[in-house]
Amino acid sequence: MVFTLAKDGATKWLAKLLEAGEVIAPVRGPCGDVIFSTLRSPTQVLWDFENPLHPPKQYVLPQTDPLIRIKRDGQRHEVEPIYDDAPRTLFNLRSCDVQGIAFLTRMQEAEPADASYLRRARNLTLISLACATPCPAGFCVCTDSGPFLHKGYDLQLTDLGGNFFVDVGSEKGEAAIARAPELFRQATEAETAKRQTLEAEAKTRFGPETCHFGSAMRRISTRRVPEALWEKMGDWCLECGGCNFVCPTCYCFSVKDLGRNGTWVRCRLWDSCQYPAFTSRLRGTIRGRSARSG
Amino acid sequence: MLPVPTTCPFCACGCGLYLLANKDGLVGVAPSETHPVSLGRLCARGWSAHEAALWGKRLTHPLINRKGTLEPVSWTEALDHVTGCFEKLVAAGKPVGVLGSVRATNEENYLAGKLARAGFSTNNLDLSYHSVCGPLLRGLEEVCGDFAPSISLNDIESSQTILLVEGDLAGTHPRAASAVMAAVERGAYLVTVTHTATQMSRLASLLLPAKPGNEGEVIDGLLAAVLQLHLEDQASLAGRCEGYDTLRGNFEAIKVTAEMRQAAEHIARAARATFLIPPLSGEGPPGRREVAALASLAAITGHLEKPGSGLLPLVSRNNVRGACDMGISPDRFPGFRPLDDLEAQRRLQDLWGKEPPLASGLDAESMLKTVSGLIVVADDPPAVLPQGQQALAALGTIEFLVVLDAFLTPTAQTAHVVLPIASWAETEGTVTSMEGRVQRLRVATDPPGEARAGWQVLAELCARFGAGASYASAADVLQEAGRGAPRYALAHQGEDRWGGTGLAKGTNGRKFRLSVADVPTPDRAAGSHVLVRDGAYDWGRDPLVSYSPILSRDFQSERKLFPKGFIEMCKHDADEIGVHPGRPVRLTSAQGSAVVPSRVRTDLQPGVLLVPFALRDHLAEVFGNHSVTAVKLEQA
Repeated sequence: MVFTLAKDGATKWLAKLLEAGEVIAPVRGPCGDVIFSTLRSPTQVLWDFENPLHPPKQYVLPQTDPLIRIKRDGQRHEVEPIYDDAPRTLFNLRSCDVQGIAFLTRMQEAEPADASYLRRARNLTLISLACATPCPAGFCVCTDSGPFLHKGYDLQLTDLGGNFFVDVGSEKGEAAIARAPELFRQATEAETAKRQTLEAEAKTRFGPETCHFGSAMRRISTRRVPEALWEKMGDWCLECGGCNFVCPTCYCFSVKDLGRNGTWVRCRLWDSCQYPAFTSRLRGTIRGRSARSG
Repeated sequence: MLPVPTTCPFCACGCGLYLLANKDGLVGVAPSETHPVSLGRLCARGWSAHEAALWGKRLTHPLINRKGTLEPVSWTEALDHVTGCFEKLVAAGKPVGVLGSVRATNEENYLAGKLARAGFSTNNLDLSYHSVCGPLLRGLEEVCGDFAPSISLNDIESSQTILLVEGDLAGTHPRAASAVMAAVERGAYLVTVTHTATQMSRLASLLLPAKPGNEGEVIDGLLAAVLQLHLEDQASLAGRCEGYDTLRGNFEAIKVTAEMRQAAEHIARAARATFLIPPLSGEGPPGRREVAALASLAAITGHLEKPGSGLLPLVSRNNVRGACDMGISPDRFPGFRPLDDLEAQRRLQDLWGKEPPLASGLDAESMLKTVSGLIVVADDPPAVLPQGQQALAALGTIEFLVVLDAFLTPTAQTAHVVLPIASWAETEGTVTSMEGRVQRLRVATDPPGEARAGWQVLAELCARFGAGASYASAADVLQEAGRGAPRYALAHQGEDRWGGTGLAKGTNGRKFRLSVADVPTPDRAAGSHVLVRDGAYDWGRDPLVSYSPILSRDFQSERKLFPKGFIEMCKHDADEIGVHPGRPVRLTSAQGSAVVPSRVRTDLQPGVLLVPFALRDHLAEVFGNHSVTAVKLEQA
């Protein structure tokens, strides 16, 4: 099913979505950054923006994620799961971030399935904005994560100039349209053709970095990276863990109990395999590379 | 989740970040691509900054110690008790004092200073971190007239030559390390002076090895090389430098190596050179004499005047510069002005309506041993002072100890009254980065329980001791502080700007005093090895790190694995005495002896033994009062 939405209708639709629950979208932060934030008003949302460094994965996998509440009752412990069932809409996220969340969901669905994550993901509607112009150093075309998508989204918007073309990907997407059906109409053949043209053109707009990415992936997967290059990269790594945290697909985590007023909350915390104690490596840390023994 | 822009609470680089919070509190952190310092990046500490407020043993109610137990009481009861006890101590003529903190905001530190000077009429006011950073600040001041750096972190990237005297810059200040890397990528000539094969030394064009505690010998050598090769900047010498002839007399005859000459040429010929002074081993920066030598080197080669060139001291803890600027020192008024500065005296008299005390007060270490009443604002001296547990024992002997903190630190556990204050994520206020950015902290979540903003509690205490004023917000306190410390006069106007207000750079028009003392003779008589505390990337027991699950993990696992501590040495030294990794060794210095397990590292020089700063108490007898000591090493 394909629809179009007039541009001036988008704000009215967002107002309806806001009535139904939390809407998160890229906004211009108080200090000029583009950042994913809970919307306070439909006019906050950005339509023309470069994707922020920090992905929206925190809305399915928060950096500090409470999982279980543990109470002590005499000699017994009461354990109850903590679920976040709040309905949320992630609006105007880019194709790569949709695929990032799809990847995370695939991992968390695998047995043993993670009920806490899945409840949050099931209550999340993904309304993406396709990229007619890829990012300057984008490589999504190499990882099947853009610039346009054919799955993973609930709704996919494409900016046709005067209006938005709307691809429907799921029942959750249909439900989002049903919040204000009067704002949508069936797309014409000409509109559909225009959307297809935009997608085809977008694929031709990737820069030389994209070729480097493809070449790097081939070299890594066929083990043709010289050892000296890994050594050099180790010298340039500051073990900040940022690569894990800004990656839309990374879910390295630790588990730690947070004590408050006699109750313990078991939390999952974003963690990084670049941190020394996360995984003890035979050759020491990446940065130090100086094996300690004893 | 709403992103709240604020300032990272860890080191003094001054990165900006967003705290992410929902209705239940803090959830995470997001980087800012528009912040002029962090530019979209954060280090490991910054990425876990929210944990620093979420996880600790948070104080939620005022507490009074009754028969050895801290019991919750009302704010009124706690404040009345503090007022009553301090009034009695002051009336009895007993010494009292106040400790400010590098963890406290400018506003909290300003009010802590006002409480001591206007409330108690004493200069018994200090920062326990002065024991670590004091020599650095005084050494810079000696030569430059001011400890404020003349360049910023972003200037490093365009340097042609960088001289780095380091412990492990990449561990202590990743933001500065990334700037050095960017400069190296652009072709900068990096000279490192270190005793360990650090990450920066692997990127260096030239490595000048130095034994711990003897970094000064290399700096002296560089100074001598400049003098011998006549590489001085004649314009600077003629216009701005004093004491050149004495310097020449002291240094010209020193023997220099070919590498030192090579480094000196690169430093002197660079259009833009950076002199970076991060912490050395032992957590502390170089000593006063070494810093003065380094500053003199920068001065005679013209790099204190050339645009984009200069010295950048880097301290480990967040608000060192702000605390100093607010006058948290037994011999400095706000603005870091000496007590005999008539202008500073007049400003404070106008501001507080009473004459400020003019006699030097006690420093932190002496206060712990001497005062009868002490108010500690967000500080934990045992975690900072080199004496460690001895400092905790000294705190226990104080007649009346009051602690304002967000966390139940060992110092708070020793207190007679504990006043819970908001953490950095729950309060308004400003902190000053080492390069001079006065940046805001913003409220991302409510403080737990009955905890209040620190500036409010201190304003109440000031009022109770006759130093009151009406403050509606932290900004009002900053405005008043700006009248005491003129560099901050406009800070309150620009504090909403992302990246804050930049304070004036150092060395404006002053003469540089090239006053480096005689070359010391190193004492190596007591043994063949040098033992030093390794402070690199070890924040020890700082509550911001020690309660954060991700950040404290490395320290905690080391403490569990080595409950009796350990020392680290190179394989050559281990083989020489026939000790296997993990087995105990005996260390004997002129001060004392200890037996500890040993570990082997491949990046240390022979003769260098390291002990992590956090495990220093196991070797307290061996160190005595020294931060570096010669020892005899043998199998236990």
